[in-house]
Order: sequence, then structure tokens, then C-alpha cells
Amino acid sequence: MAERKHWEWEINNSSSYWGASLAELWAYRHLLASLVRKNFLVNYQQTILGPAWMFLQPILTLATYTLIFGRLVGLSTGTLPPVLFYFSGIILWNFFNECFGGTANTFRENAQVFSKVYFPRIITPLSIFCTQFIRLFIQLFLLFLLYCYYILFRDFIPRLDTWFFVFPVALLAVGSIGMGLGLTLSVITAKYRDLSGFVQLGIRLLMFGTPVIYPLTYLAPDMRWIIQLNPLTSLFELFRFSLYGEGVVIFPFLAYSLFFAALLLAIGLLLFNKKGDSIIDIV
Amino acid sequence: MAEISIDVQNLSKLYHLGTFGTGSFRQDLQHWWVTNVLKKESPFFQAHRAKQDDVNTLWALHDVSFEVKSGEVLGIIGENGSGKSTLLKIISRITRPTQGVVRGNGKVSSLLEVGTGFNNELTGRENIYLSGYILGMSRDEIRRKFDEIVEFSGVERFIDTPVKRYSSGMYVRLAFAVAAHLEPDILIVDEVLAVGDTDFQKKCMGKMHEISQTDGRTILFVSHSMQAVNSLCDNVLWLQKGRIQQWGDASEVVNKYVSSIQKHCLKQEWKKMEEAPGNESIKVKSVELIPHLDDTFDVIDIRTPLTVRFQLWNLEQNSNISTRMLLFSYSGECIFTVLSSSVMCYRPGIIEGECLIPGNLLNDGSYFISFNFLKNTAIHLLDFNECLSFDMEDYRGDLKWYGKWWGAVRPKLQFSLQQKEREPFWLSSIS
Repeated sequence: MAERKHWEWEINNSSSYWGASLAELWAYRHLLASLVRKNFLVNYQQTILGPAWMFLQPILTLATYTLIFGRLVGLSTGTLPPVLFYFSGIILWNFFNECFGGTANTFRENAQVFSKVYFPRIITPLSIFCTQFIRLFIQLFLLFLLYCYYILFRDFIPRLDTWFFVFPVALLAVGSIGMGLGLTLSVITAKYRDLSGFVQLGIRLLMFGTPVIYPLTYLAPDMRWIIQLNPLTSLFELFRFSLYGEGVVIFPFLAYSLFFAALLLAIGLLLFNKKGDSIIDIV
Repeated sequence: MAEISIDVQNLSKLYHLGTFGTGSFRQDLQHWWVTNVLKKESPFFQAHRAKQDDVNTLWALHDVSFEVKSGEVLGIIGENGSGKSTLLKIISRITRPTQGVVRGNGKVSSLLEVGTGFNNELTGRENIYLSGYILGMSRDEIRRKFDEIVEFSGVERFIDTPVKRYSSGMYVRLAFAVAAHLEPDILIVDEVLAVGDTDFQKKCMGKMHEISQTDGRTILFVSHSMQAVNSLCDNVLWLQKGRIQQWGDASEVVNKYVSSIQKHCLKQEWKKMEEAPGNESIKVKSVELIPHLDDTFDVIDIRTPLTVRFQLWNLEQNSNISTRMLLFSYSGECIFTVLSSSVMCYRPGIIEGECLIPGNLLNDGSYFISFNFLKNTAIHLLDFNECLSFDMEDYRGDLKWYGKWWGAVRPKLQFSLQQKEREPFWLSSIS
């Protein structure tokens, strides 16, 4: 008998932290693209306004915030026009929120597919990340339009310098935190579902612990460190600083945020890869 | 000798039963504390080792080893819960084994469900791509076969309609069409033929034949249809309670399997009158179904004549007794009722009855038999319900059609075709 010593694949009981190889992920790139496409198509299926919702949703939130926090509560937005201030906060927060919320239920929402067919599981949360990233870019375009309007018609003069080119760093880091947290949580909530209830509440509270609707300068200087312990704080400030030239960017805190983002993403990815195979038995 | 395509060695899978709740969280914490902080062996783990047949665990697969040669079609059979699906899930990388290893050569695609990855909101076209990618096809492959897939499914007109508006038949056809055009080296199929209408089932079986025979691919095939297994598979693996009961030539294993599940319900007998079911007028001594088979390992199929034999204790004097026998399909539909001749019993004693159900009368399926014992052909002395049951297997001979045969019965009637003389040429030229 022609006994072969070499096997192309092997399945045993040990799972690895590294998950699928890059070559395998590359082989599934069309699936990733197709899932991203699906995410967009399904969202706007049977809506009259369709993809316009991508603009409408942040604009409506902007109107609400401007009205409530700007006019009624009277929160100061520093020297920035409230519209520009809120809008940058809203789209970045939405990005974080969707990256996190979309990936946190990966196993629960895809249990049906995961229990019937194999593909590298990381493709699913990755597709959410890509979808949200594309959406963010479309919304950034809207921000750009608002920006131009304020410069041309409202005599708003931004202090722009080379810092402008740093803003993608803020986006990536915020996305990493969102996805890292989401991946970690998807593993935990697969088994302990009640956790997701607490987490939703926690995320809502976190928004008020992040300078989304107020600038960090709104707080007394000796109180700022409490908010700055939140790794998102420095990233939001960095985002505004690079775009508008206004924000509190302190290097130790920024380094802390970036380190935190990298760490969370690493933990999330490793845990997801390691536990992904066995979770399907308990989800 | 052909190369080995899949090699399975000592494969076991342990499942934890019960629900996960507050208790499990405490246990997990405790387990983590003991193993990771105190660096001891977990008490739970020790318990597992000591008592592997714990009530809360189940070995869905236990020490299963076999191999599949390249180009072989292996059928996997067994009752529900015998570990068939678990085995397929491990080989298709959906879940990991607890112990053991599976090794193989070639690309694996699994079809454990029809329509995996379909999204209701998307159109047929979008779904072909999405489902194709999920099943592991490449973009070129799908593009190349797109027209073929659409044609096979027969839903050309609706290809740009969201699939939620499809009838369930159309949905299944489109889903299977995608799956049928996979070109893996190893194909894993779980009972997907049990869907769709008969016409479509025929198409699917044809496709399976084509894949297995002309293309020479390795196929693992789980099915409850012994007819399908028999006609498609070279070898059969029979699993029972997670272990291999038998592995070998298809027809041999299938016959053993079918006769083993039939044996249980063919006879009931009571030795003592006190324990026998019944009342003060009549008691049942035995009921028995005797298939007329060539040898004991053979299988009851639609050709097999069956004799129903029963014995009663009559406890009354001067009683005019008759018996009505009812045959029900498994869904509870009465297929027929027969009434026996009556017998006048002047004193208590044993009554014996016998009825012959000829072969080539019943359709394939599961049946059960009930009796009504009557006095003066009208008064029910005793209703003895569902006391015998049996499965009638399908038999098609050389027929190339595998769909469900319609009808409550399947009698073999005189039915012939003859070719008459050819039409005059001037008649055929008119049409």
C-alpha cells in the first residue's frame, strides 16, 4: 500500500492562538468583500432613502446634540463652532460603537452559519470592521463639506499644520479598541450571555466619560486625568487637534492610549483565534 | 491501490450536557483559580478521568478509526444520535475532536445544510456569490459556473429578486444548485437530499451520481435513505452510540443495519395469563409478525409477504368472536382494515388467528398494526392498539429513479405497454 507520510491538513484537539494563516485569509478575501457588500446592502434594503441614511443618521444626531447639549444645556465647545465639534465627535464615536457592538455578538449572531460550514472565523468580525471603516470615510466626506462651509461662509479659520496627517492614527486606534473589546467580549458572551446587558449600559456611560459632546478643556485641569484614564479620550482629542487645531494632546497619555489600543487588539485577536473553534459547542 | 484521502484515527468527542448558568460561571472561576493560580490539577478534571461516563457528559464519538480512499464514496449510517453528524462536523473543521486526529489530502467542502450563508434580503444573484464564497469557491469558479448554476436551479426569472420572496421550493433549488457546483477533492454531504420536490430530488441524485462516478471525487455521505446509500456508496460505516458497529461493503452493512433495527418490534408474547394485557373476557397471549424472508439477515422490503399471527385466551362461554386488524402508516393514517371470519366458542380456551399480507402491496415506510377483538361482530371486547410495528424498505431493482413513490399502497398490478404498428407515414407528416 502506498502509505503517505505527508498530509496536506490535519485536525486534532489543539487550537492555536495564531488562527488561520495569512495565505488562508488571502484565499478567503472574496468572502470578506462579499460580506462587506452584504452588510451595506442589507442595511439599506427596503428603505426609501437607501444609502442616504449613512448621512442622515449622523446629521439627525448632530441636530439633536446641538439642540440639547448646545442650546438647552449650554455646554461649551471651546472656540470651535458647535456643529463641527459635535459632528467630529459623533462620527468617531459611532465608528467605535459600531465596531464594538458589531463584533461583540459574532458567535451568537452567526451560530447558524458557524455550525454548518468552515471558514476562518475572523473573517466575520473583519467584515464588520471594514464596513464601518468605509462608512466612516463616507461620513468624513460629509465632515469635509461642513468644514468647507464654515471656512467659506462663517469665517472659521482652522489652525492647520502637519498634525493634520495624524488623524488616520486616531481612527485606527479607536477602531482597534472597539474591535479588540468586541472580539474579547464575543468569546465571553458566547457562554455568559447576561454580560452583554451590562456591557451595553457600560458603553452608553462610557460615552459620557469620553470627550464626545464636551471638550476636555471644559473640565478643571486637575480633574482631567480621570477622564484621560479612558484610552479613548486622548484619541478623540487627537482627532480634533489634527483636524481643527484644537484639543488637549499630552504625549504620555497619547502613548498610553496607543499602547492600550494595540494591547486590546492583540488580546482580542489571540483569544478569538484560540477559543473560536471550541465555542461552537457551547454557543 | 488507491491513495488514502482521509485518515481518521482514534477520534473521540466529548460533549458536556446540561445548561450553562450561574453554576457554570462559578465552576469556571474555580477551575481557573485551581489550575492557573494554584497550579494544581483541577478537581473537575480529575473527576472526569475517574468517571468518564459521568451523567453530565456524553461521548458523541468514541475511538473511531477508519480511512477513505481517494475516489471512494463512503456512506455513514446509524440511528439518530449515533454520532454521524459529529463525525462530519469534525472532518469539515466546524468543531474540534476531544481526542484523536483526522488527516487528509485535498480540498474539503461540506454541505451540512442547504442554503448555508443565504441572506433573505439579498437577491438570488447576490446569494449565489455569497453562498459560493462561504462554501469555499473562488471568484473565477463562481463566475465560470454562474449560468450553469442558474440553469440548474431553474429560477432564471427571479435571479434579481430577493430570495425572501421565493417559494420554499425555489429557495432550496437555488441553494442546492450552488452546492452542486462545488468542485472539491473531498465532498461531505449530510442528508441534503431530503429536501425539495421529487423532481428535484431526482436531479440531485443524478448530480451525486455524476460527481461520484465521472469525476472520481471522494464523498462522505450521511443519509437515512438506505436506497440512496445502497445505490451511491462503495463502502458504508455504521455508527452506533458513537462507536463503529461495522465498516465494509455497502450492501452487506446496510442489510445488517436494517435487520437490526427491525428485529425489536416484530413479536410480543405473554407466558402467564395473569400478566397478559386484556380484561375478564379476553386476554392476549401473543402477537407476531413473520416476514417470509430467504434468510434471517435479510431485510423486509416491499416485495416481502408478511404473516400476522396472534393467540388469545377466551375467558367467556358461548361467545361468537371475530377480529378486526388495522394497518396504520407511521403518520397515523389507516391504510386498510380487514375483518376475520368469526368463530363460535362454547367454552373458554385459546384462539389462534393468522392473516397474510402479500408482498408487492404496501409502499415503503413504517407501519404499525392494531387489533379490535369483537363479539358478535359488533361489540368491542378489547382494543389492542399499536402492538406490532415494522419498516418496509424500498426496492427499485434496476429503476433509475429514487424519489419517494407516491401513494398509500404500491400494488403490483398487471400493467403493460406494447408498441403497435407504426403510424402510416402520411399521418406523421401532418403533425
